Amino acid sequence: MPTLIKAAADGWAIASETESADIQWQAPEDWNSGDALLLTVDLEPLAEYAQAERIAIEFPAFNDGRALSLAVLLRTRLGYTGELRAVGAVHEDILHYMVRCGFDAMEIPDDRNVQIALELIRPYSNVYQGTVDNPEPSFRRMQRG
Amino acid sequence: MYRYDDFDRNFVAERVAHYRSQTERYLAGKLSDDEFLQLRLRNGLYVQRLAPMLRVAVPYGTLSAKQLRMLAHIARQYDRGYGHLSTRQNMQFNWPDLAEVPDILEDLATVEMHAIQTSGNCIRNVTTDEFAGAARDEHVDARPYCEIMRQWSTNHPEFDWLPRKFKIAVTGATTDRAAIAVHDIGLRAGLDAHGKVVFDVYVGGGLGRTPVIGSQIYSGLPVQHLLTYLESIMRVYNRYGRRDNKYKARIKILVRAMGAEAFKAKVEEDWQDIKDGPSTLLDAEVERMVAAFEPPAFEKLENDTDALDKLRFEHPEFGRWLKHNVKPHKQSGYAVVVLSTKVTGVPTGDVSDEQMDAVADWSERYSFSELRISHEQNFVLPHVPMQHLFNLWQAATAQDLATANVGLLTDIICCPGGDYCSLANAKSIPVAEAIQQRFDDVDYLYDLGDLDINISGCMNACGHHHVGHIGILGVDKKGQEFYQISLGGHSGHSGLPPSLGQIVGPSVAREEVTDVVAAIFEVYLQHRLEGEQFLSCFNRISIDPFKEKVYANAD
Ligand code: HEM
Ligand code: SF4
Repeated sequence: MPTLIKAAADGWAIASETESADIQWQAPEDWNSGDALLLTVDLEPLAEYAQAERIAIEFPAFNDGRALSLAVLLRTRLGYTGELRAVGAVHEDILHYMVRCGFDAMEIPDDRNVQIALELIRPYSNVYQGTVDNPEPSFRRMQRG
Repeated sequence: MYRYDDFDRNFVAERVAHYRSQTERYLAGKLSDDEFLQLRLRNGLYVQRLAPMLRVAVPYGTLSAKQLRMLAHIARQYDRGYGHLSTRQNMQFNWPDLAEVPDILEDLATVEMHAIQTSGNCIRNVTTDEFAGAARDEHVDARPYCEIMRQWSTNHPEFDWLPRKFKIAVTGATTDRAAIAVHDIGLRAGLDAHGKVVFDVYVGGGLGRTPVIGSQIYSGLPVQHLLTYLESIMRVYNRYGRRDNKYKARIKILVRAMGAEAFKAKVEEDWQDIKDGPSTLLDAEVERMVAAFEPPAFEKLENDTDALDKLRFEHPEFGRWLKHNVKPHKQSGYAVVVLSTKVTGVPTGDVSDEQMDAVADWSERYSFSELRISHEQNFVLPHVPMQHLFNLWQAATAQDLATANVGLLTDIICCPGGDYCSLANAKSIPVAEAIQQRFDDVDYLYDLGDLDINISGCMNACGHHHVGHIGILGVDKKGQEFYQISLGGHSGHSGLPPSLGQIVGPSVAREEVTDVVAAIFEVYLQHRLEGEQFLSCFNRISIDPFKEKVYANAD
């Protein structure tokens, strides 16, 4: 079973296994408001998804950037505030992009090293752009130059 | 020039550390070949037929003397004593050792350089006019906006894993020297009625297998909206661009499939949500960037043409160099100098460590320590006082960097082709050499006038053959190397709307290429009107007379 890592008040940590055990993920066609919703990367972000209990987006390949754009749209255009989980081909070197695009939970597949993943969540202390986790770009956030 | 602040320095240091950890994990077997491939590409490291190739970013082609000296050092220390100027204004090293790349990156960081996003399916180095800040026909110096885009696109959280690579080019001059029509996004900077900077935005241009001229989707975009509008374009492309077939994954295919109008509508829809949001540029940030590219402290100098005329008379070679390699500057008494790397027998764009050190010295002595790399794979010294032109010419001649052929036939753009590249159908360097050798008579060359010959070894079009006045493309014909020749292409250089070359006829064997080129010249020389350049003549008389002549003896 993949290992879930989650944002916690004091940083990122491995979540308990029970946390994932009971979730009934539903694809959009079977989904009702209040259920956990599992999205593929080619879907449109419909307004009603903001009512999901939680949302997961499945990475078909680690280098498929569509999940990142979909996450941004869920967080910004829809204003979705619940858990947003990355599942599927989750790779440790993509985690820092995920976090900045609004994911707050990631399932690390069994063939990846969780310890390395935890070390790579924020390899950069500062970033140029504004993003979901901090909408201000560097030129607004601080004195540049 | 833009100088890094602590923020940039810290970022690059962390990027190198991150890349070092990726290399170590790969060498320790914790990353597969394919995973590491994707990661190293985002740091400029290809593995080619013969060895790894490291592409170092030269943002918008601008370098300082100190930076070029570091590149010379890298060529000496980690490579075989030379580097290669690329058609995207970068510098490539062909023989670095994979395990040493993190050390090279650390050396580069000491002079505010890196290799970030010079390959891979991400936003690449933004390119611009190699004469930016110096050209007499310039309305807006594009470099501040290039730097704004460099920072915005660096490790972009959402747009680093695109369907395919993504190239942005900007021009701010009347003559488009950045070829914006054949880029994924092309920006034409100008001034509105109030003197404020605005951009015309083009999308979906490109070369490769499916050459396309970009479509304009916005006219007069105010500068404060630059980043949000780009963000919306990128988001539409990232979501809808094809990922199932890498030959159909560029934005040009998406724009064509949707239609430019529908594409634009999709962009506008997204933009409504983020326009005026936090990524809107602040005046202070634009001013910071403009200030970074303040013109150097020019002296008040006269255009000393009498002295030059005298020297020109005494040294006809110098006169030819002045005519072809020296360009008008906005500041009186100064000139822009192109140092040609196109010497018969040297692969196009290759420069030695010694040449790099020499160019760095000249830029300090004669050009405020500034220099550029052009997409024609030459060096440019942007601000040379006219009184120093003769000294510079003599020094450059001694380093084989003063061939008076800029814009002429022997100033060929040529990809590495079958000698170095595993994708090639045919060799390209020997074709360039054969042409340079066959037409080595200087009087003939000068008589032919402005002429771009562009050569690619396969349809990936690294040599931009579609936009050569004469384009030569390597094709595979039953396992044999053949060449398809096209005429009349150009990327908007001559003030004309850009156009793609038309194929003259069936492809020919390597031995025949120079004969075909000779026949093309004959037709031109026979038909041209007084003072008419090749391209204008071609547009007037059409391809037909060329076809007739080239295939006259074919049955
Ligand atoms: C040596 C091995 C090289 C390989 C294997 C290679 C491979 C490729 C491929 C596959 C493409 C097509 C990409 C696409 O259509 O999406 C391409 C495009 C391009 N390459 Fe190369 N390349 C090489 C060297 C170079 C060099 C040395 C230069 C510069 C001098 C260069 C400049 C370009 C440019 C400017 C394009 C863009 C054409 C466009 O906009 O479609 N390449 N290359
Ligand atoms: S055009 Fe083809 S042969 Fe030439 S460098 Fe590009 S991929 Fe290689």
